[in-house]
Amino acid sequence: MESETQRIALGLRHGDVAVLEALVEQYQYRLVRYLVSLLGRRDGVDDFVQETWLRVLERGRSYDGQSRFEPWLFRVARNIALDAMRKRPMSSLPSNEEDAVRSSPASGEPSPYTLAARTQDAERLAHSLQTLEPIYREALVLRFQEDLSLQEISVIVGAPVSTVASRIYRGLATLRPQFEGK
Amino acid sequence: MIDESLAGVLSAEKEQSLRAHLSTCATCREYLSASNRVIVGLSGFSFEVNPTLNARVLAAIRLQAEEGRGILARDTGTMRQNSVPFKNWVAFAVALSMSIVGSALVYQMAERLAVPMQIVSAQLRASVLVFWLLPSLCAALCLLAAPGQKRGLA
Repeated sequence: MESETQRIALGLRHGDVAVLEALVEQYQYRLVRYLVSLLGRRDGVDDFVQETWLRVLERGRSYDGQSRFEPWLFRVARNIALDAMRKRPMSSLPSNEEDAVRSSPASGEPSPYTLAARTQDAERLAHSLQTLEPIYREALVLRFQEDLSLQEISVIVGAPVSTVASRIYRGLATLRPQFEGK
Repeated sequence: MIDESLAGVLSAEKEQSLRAHLSTCATCREYLSASNRVIVGLSGFSFEVNPTLNARVLAAIRLQAEEGRGILARDTGTMRQNSVPFKNWVAFAVALSMSIVGSALVYQMAERLAVPMQIVSAQLRASVLVFWLLPSLCAALCLLAAPGQKRGLA
């Protein structure tokens, strides 16, 4: 019997717009959430979202359906966002990948995490998340919000599993004091 | 071990020993509790998606899909043009026939003129070959290779 991922892969291989529209409906929110965590800001994310889906339409045949769709989608989104960050004017050109995702919102703008916090624990985390190194924030979000395995995260970020695990440990270590002894 | 457990990389055996340790260690329980609150806190964010974003994305997808189909159709058309169309084959066959028949006629006429003009047979054959048969064969091959549209055949 055809699995869901194989059905998606087949649809993308044939450039089936109906399949893509269903994927947009299903994954749009998670894509936005991931890009916000990657970039640490809300502005410009919509453009990256649109570009990501167009890239999925264009290169969807490279998804083989052997693994879950969302890691593949997030990897596409990540490449687009980081490429765009690298192509910024020379004055703000990041020197490497980590610098590329180290952009924070313009001063005076409320953090996207402050605006999005819906619980007391989230409110407490909002500021720390905003100032957390993006690579740690990305690892935490992919592991605990998106519920991806370390292997899947490793594929997305293009780093060994041990590096991903280390980023999660360091991210947790940075945020944990907020709740210790309380 | 607690971090490894939360990251999902701890073996079942070590998970069991961790649980046994937690039952007796208040410090580690506190560590786990704080870690769990971080994880729960991470789920407490709800980002607003621009209400027009889906419509915008879907419109862009449809537009690109249409353009993609247009490009595909153009590519297919180019491939058709690149393959030799039937009309080209007909033109080539006609030109080849005319070339052979014309060469034979020219050769016969030249043979009649050869005696009064004192031209030897070998020279006559070479002249017909170089000045009539080869150029006409080249012309026929050009018809085969030329794109149909340029000749008004497509």
